[in-house]
This record gives sequence, C-alpha cells and structure tokens, in this order.
Amino acid sequence: MEKKIVRNERTGEQYTYVKHPTGLDIFIWKMEGYSTTHALFGTKYGSINTKFRTNNEPDFITVPNGIAHYLEHKLFENEDCDVFSLYAKTGASANAYTSFDKTCYLFSCTDNVYDSLEILLSFVQDPYFTEETVRKEQGIIGQEIRMYDDNAGWRVFFNMLQGMYHEHPVKIDIAGTVESIAQINADLLYKCYYAFYNLNNMVLSIAGNVDEDKVLELCDKLLKNNDNPGLETAFEPEPDTVCQQEVVQKLEIAIPMFNIGFKAKPESGREAVRAEIETNFVLSLLADESSVFYKKLYDEGIINSSFSSEVFRGDGYFCSIFGGESRDPRLVKDKLIEEIQRCKKEGLDKERFDIIKKSYYGALIRDLNDAEAIATTMINAGMEKISAFDVIETVANVTFEDVSKRLEKQFNTENVTISIIEPIDNKEE
Amino acid sequence: MAVIYNREKIGEGINFTSLINKRQKTNTIMIHLLTPLSSETASVNALIPYVLCGSSREYPTITILNKKLSELYGAVIKGSVSKMGDSQALSLMAGCINNRYTFNNEKITEEMTKILAGCLVDPNISGNGFESKDFELKKQELLDDIDAEINDKRAYAFKRANMNIFRNEPASISIKGDREHAENITAVSAYEQYKELLKTSQIEIFFVGAEYSNSCKDILSEAFAKIDRSYSGDNHSDISPLKDEICRVTEAHDVAQSKMVMAFKTDHNNIITMKLMNAVFGATPISKLFMNVREKLSLCYYCSSGFNEKKGVLYVDSGVEHSNIEKAENEIINQLEAMKNGDFSDEEIENARLAIINSWKGVGDGARSIADWYFNQCYSGRSDPPEKNIENIMKVTRNDIIEAAKSLRLDTVYVLTGKGDTE
Repeated sequence: MEKKIVRNERTGEQYTYVKHPTGLDIFIWKMEGYSTTHALFGTKYGSINTKFRTNNEPDFITVPNGIAHYLEHKLFENEDCDVFSLYAKTGASANAYTSFDKTCYLFSCTDNVYDSLEILLSFVQDPYFTEETVRKEQGIIGQEIRMYDDNAGWRVFFNMLQGMYHEHPVKIDIAGTVESIAQINADLLYKCYYAFYNLNNMVLSIAGNVDEDKVLELCDKLLKNNDNPGLETAFEPEPDTVCQQEVVQKLEIAIPMFNIGFKAKPESGREAVRAEIETNFVLSLLADESSVFYKKLYDEGIINSSFSSEVFRGDGYFCSIFGGESRDPRLVKDKLIEEIQRCKKEGLDKERFDIIKKSYYGALIRDLNDAEAIATTMINAGMEKISAFDVIETVANVTFEDVSKRLEKQFNTENVTISIIEPIDNKEE
Repeated sequence: MAVIYNREKIGEGINFTSLINKRQKTNTIMIHLLTPLSSETASVNALIPYVLCGSSREYPTITILNKKLSELYGAVIKGSVSKMGDSQALSLMAGCINNRYTFNNEKITEEMTKILAGCLVDPNISGNGFESKDFELKKQELLDDIDAEINDKRAYAFKRANMNIFRNEPASISIKGDREHAENITAVSAYEQYKELLKTSQIEIFFVGAEYSNSCKDILSEAFAKIDRSYSGDNHSDISPLKDEICRVTEAHDVAQSKMVMAFKTDHNNIITMKLMNAVFGATPISKLFMNVREKLSLCYYCSSGFNEKKGVLYVDSGVEHSNIEKAENEIINQLEAMKNGDFSDEEIENARLAIINSWKGVGDGARSIADWYFNQCYSGRSDPPEKNIENIMKVTRNDIIEAAKSLRLDTVYVLTGKGDTE
C-alpha cells in the first residue's frame, strides 16, 4: 500500500492519499473539531461514456444513452432491500448522482461513520439486476426525464450543447430519452458495470470527523481484488466548428432565457485544470459584475442580475458559457463578441486582474469550511490524477500574461452557439 | 466542539447574537429585519434588501462596491427575503475569509462590517428617494422575478397552493408580493418604507466566526445608534384554521408533468413530535411516501412531506403523470391512515429519529445553518441549541406519533396540470 501525506504550506491544511493494492485511489482529510463526515465513492463513468472496449470485449461497443444514470439508480437496490433502508440504521443522509463524466455515491453523517462506510463500500461493489427490476425502473426514470422537459434552465443548457457539438455525447441528456432507456436490459447493465466499476477506475474520498486507520482497515476488509479489465473509452472525432449557431425552443416562461457558448479545443489532466482556471479569469475580466461590459448592459436593461458565466469542460469537450435572462438575447451575443474582439485588440484590464485573483482565492478558502466541498474537491482531483491543492496553487500563481494568452486561444468568435428559450405567446393560441 | 452562543441587546428591539466556533475559516454576519406580512407592503419590502446590497453613499454603484468587496478577498454582501409564517424577513448577509488567511494579515472583517453597515443605514439617496437609476433596474428585476415564478413549476404550484391553503391569512401572500403592488412602487415610496422599517421592525443580527468580535459589534451598534427607533413589538404567526370543506383547485398550464400539493392541518402543539411523525410519514427516502408512492407503485418522481411548524400545516408535494393523480391522492391518504392506525414499525421510528438527529448534529458545522437555527429559535421565543432538541426527540413515543398523525385533517388539494390534460 502506497501512502503519503499531502501538505499545503499556504493554507496549513493536509490530507492523506493512499493507493490501495486493489487499485483504488483513497483520499482522507481529517477536519479537526467538525461533527460531520462526508464520503464519496465514485467511478469515472458518466453519460458521455457510451463507447468502450475491455480485454473481454476487444471490439468497441456502443451502449444506449442514459445507461450510466440508469445503472446508478439500479445499484441503489440490493438483492433483498433498498440501500436507503440500510443507511436508515446509521442515520446517514445518502444519495448518488450521475454527471457527464462521473457517477458518485455519497453519504453525510455525524454518528456511525464506519457503519455507513461499510454500507457504501459494500453495495457499490455488489450489483444485482434482473429483467424485472430493470423494467420497473423505467417508470421512475421516465418521470424524471419528463420533469426535466419542463425545466427551462435545463433545456436552455442542453439545447446549446446540442447546437455546439456534432458528435460528442455530451450533447445528450444525462438521463437519456424515454426511447433510449427502453433499450436497456440487465445484460447491458452488467457489461457496463464490470467495465467501469473496477477499482482502478474509481476513487474514494472522505472528509470530516474521521479516523484514517479505521477507514483503511475497512477498505482492506471490504475492497474486492478483481483483475483490471483494461478499460478503454473512445469518442467519435469532433470538429472544431459548432454544429448549429442558434437553437430556439418555446416554453411557458416569462422572460427569454439564453446560453451563449464559445467552443474551444479540450485539453486533459493538469493542462485542462490550468485552462479552466485561466479561462475563469478571462470570464471575470470580460463580464463579471464589476466589469465595464456588465455595467453597460445592465444599465441599458439588456441583462439583469441573473447574468453569469462559467467554464464547462470534461473528457473531449471545453466551452465557456454565458447565461441569463434578456428580452434580446441575440443582442447580448453581438455585444459579447464585440467586447471579446475589443479586448483581444486593446488587452484585458490588468488592474482588475489582481483583485480577481484575491477574490478567486478567497472563495477557495471558504470551501475549506465545508466537509462536502472538500470531499468533492478531492474526488475530482483523484479522477483527474492531480493533487487536491493544485487548484488553489494554480490560482495563487496565475499571471496576467497566461490569462491574456488564454483569451486568444479559448475564444474563437466564429465557433459560437446561442440557445434561446422563448416564452409561449398565449395570444397566438 | 460546541458553538458558543451569546445574545445581547444593542438597541430598542435590536439584538446581536454571536455564534463562536474556533474552526470557522470565515466570518459571516446576517442582519434580519422582521415585519408582519401584508399585501400592501410585501412587494416593496421584497425589493428593499436588493436595493440596499447594491450600493451605499460611500460606494454609490454596484461596480465600485463590487470592486471594493473583491479586494477584500471576494467578500460578499447579499440581500434576500424570506417568509416565516405570517412574517416577512428582509435580510442582508455579508461574509469574508478570516483575517489570518489573507496574504498580508489584513483586517478585512472590520472593513466588510463597515461596508455592510453603510449599505443598511446610509444608502445611496438622491432627493427624497433611492437613487433612481439603480432603483428602477432593481424594480424591473423584481417584476421579472414575479413573472418568472412560473418558470419553476414545482415552486409555482407550491405558491399557488399556499394562496388557497392560507386563504385570508398573511401567510397566503407570496414572498415577493404581486405585480400590481410592485408596479406602483417608486424610488420615493420605497425610501419611505425603508425608513419605516428601520424604525419599527425587529432587528436580529447574527455574527458567526472563530472568535468574538467586539469591533464588529461596535461598528453595528454605532450604525444603529443614529436611528430614532420606535419598535412596534413582536412578530408572531397564528396556527392556520381548518376550512369547513376541503378546498380543491386545479389549474392548467403548459407542463409535461402534473404537480399536486396536499395540505393537512393540525393544532398539535408539540413541534418536535410533529417533526418525527413527518419524518416517518414522508420526509426521508425511507419514509412511507417514498417507499410506497414512489418506489413500490412508481406513481411519482418525487413525493415528500414537509411540516410548517409556524402555521401547523403538513404538506405533501408531488410530481405525477396526469393519469395517476387520483391514484396518487388515494395512496397518500392511505399512507396517512396507516400512520393514524399505528401501522409502522419501531424500526421506522428509530430510523426517522436517527435521520433527524443526524441532521441536527451537523447544524453547528455551517455558518449559515447555525445562524438560521438560532434565528428560527428567536422567532419562536426560544434559544435552544440543537442538543436540546435532540434530548427532546429522544423522549417521543410511538403513541405520541399516532396522536400527532390523528390530529391531521385534509384542508386543501391543489393540482397544476397540462393544458391538454384537463377534462
């Protein structure tokens, strides 16, 4: 067992990293004086991983959309009971989520930490599906998909991804569609399970009121030694250009909502983290609440305080998104492109760079108050094969020159998609 | 590690509560102005915190204010408005990292407190009202927010349900008021109402940090000392009366999934017993509603209950296919009958009890959660720490839970459904 203490001088914080003989990466962060413990057990398997091969299946296979999320729902069911009813005996609050590139099972508790951890490690390693239990889930997941159909914030985002990407499966809803989930059966679920839920592809992360030795003792007892299946994932080649420049849908809302995305070339590992941080600086400099651009559009009533921006990235995709409500979303897009071109020519605001750095750093320090935030940071770091302190250190060391280069590189004003949700005009009916 | 609680009066109807915990890496200040809900003032009251947190006389625009806050390591000042039973709480929240985490040991907490005090008692005024340009933008946002309530169908259904559940009570008023009143607000009328609130509302301040801060208390005491107070008295909520007949309302909108809100009323006076009953019935993923209505029968994507202790109302909130509405309603009633008949195991009680205790034990870990806990306590005239509630919930028996369930009467069924779905 490889074990090391990872310490950060800047904050005085530390955690323990362990490479378990089974292949699992384990992160443990003891938070002195806290009552809460937050634990995450996750696999690097999300909605985008629909094409893969293993040693047993040397040819690439493509599985139905939404299967990672479906699997998450089904793992929550043991052979003889629901996993919630196991946690009920420890008092832990448990949940699970599937994102584009990961599936995580989690609990948060104040007592009976090790009993809860035993439940977590056991059920995730113990799949049980039959054709009947798989079929039953279709009703519940169908309802979940329908619920998101009504959610304008969700629709505006996915419509933008659909416009932006030609091939990459990030354009598909995480839960899939009513049609795609109808193709899912027990055999497919097992196939995906054994490919992605191998401990070499997984991370365990625990933060809070926790004893390291007890955690490792449980891991030794419960982690199963399986062969590494030699998992390999693949994506269809994705062009640099966007698929559609504009996508419009009508829903029952009050003010039009928009997402404007700038598509960029994805990077991986540490480089992707650096790209995300530097791009976040660019977004703040361009259009945060203190920017000249924001004030101008806000004062003219073109945007309101719902306006915000973020970096969205993962395996094979990277884009910067501006979103909010506006009575004229296309004008917001034109103004944004104008502002980006102006900044490329005249340069970004150097004076504000130092202020933004302090502000970004402050937000990361605030996260250190919270067991959930820490556990999440560690599992993300584990899946990217970086240190949990890499983000804080990168932010502290970023230079204005790095950020200026990033503006050139990451904001091609040709590769833009705007997604708009317009209110239904009831008078037309 | 326990939180050290200390509450002191710093003015007429103004209290400063400090919640100290060594491991806090941030300092947080919440200032709440509590006032009775009324349809005349709900909208203007909802607007005021947002106007205040965007500027002050010293930092007259959002750009200047934000620049200053960013220099303080991304300190934040936020306004919000919330409903507590029949009262409305207007809140300003400020937060920053502890001075010891700054690059050069800067005193940012004191600076942030001064800025917050400025936003609250020394706003950006022109003539007899708030500075009009910024005010008009904030007003437009309030109107947009009121219009946008329909975007989130679950919240919208809940709002519409409340209007029926609390008919003729202050609690029926939407937290942001209504469009008609909002449209008529002017920079001058809002400023007048603001002055009235500073004068008459109950003001509760919470400071959460690693150590007690005399300087923050002094900055705030000094700021409030300039105000000529005539505190109008306490805020309270009344238990909602049961209607003579069950109120049934169905409304049609463009939705794919229908929403149903059922309300049961009670005059049971033991809140902790009601909370435990609610947890067994529908508030956890092992509750009767989740296990039966969602899991066993696949009738809903979500179906859960919540208890409004200030109004004595238990809600059941669900998302259902239109064709299943009646089935879902019947099944929810069946599950409540099961509770009344004592048809639940000791294990279900202990599991629910454990889940609640687990969440109460974690309250002290978050700045926001501990401040909200004591704000709720002081609204009800108490100052019990979470540990005290834990002690009390340990004493609740099976019979207590059955009695609590028996006290519930169906009052309202509200359904939001698709346009093609209404018969």
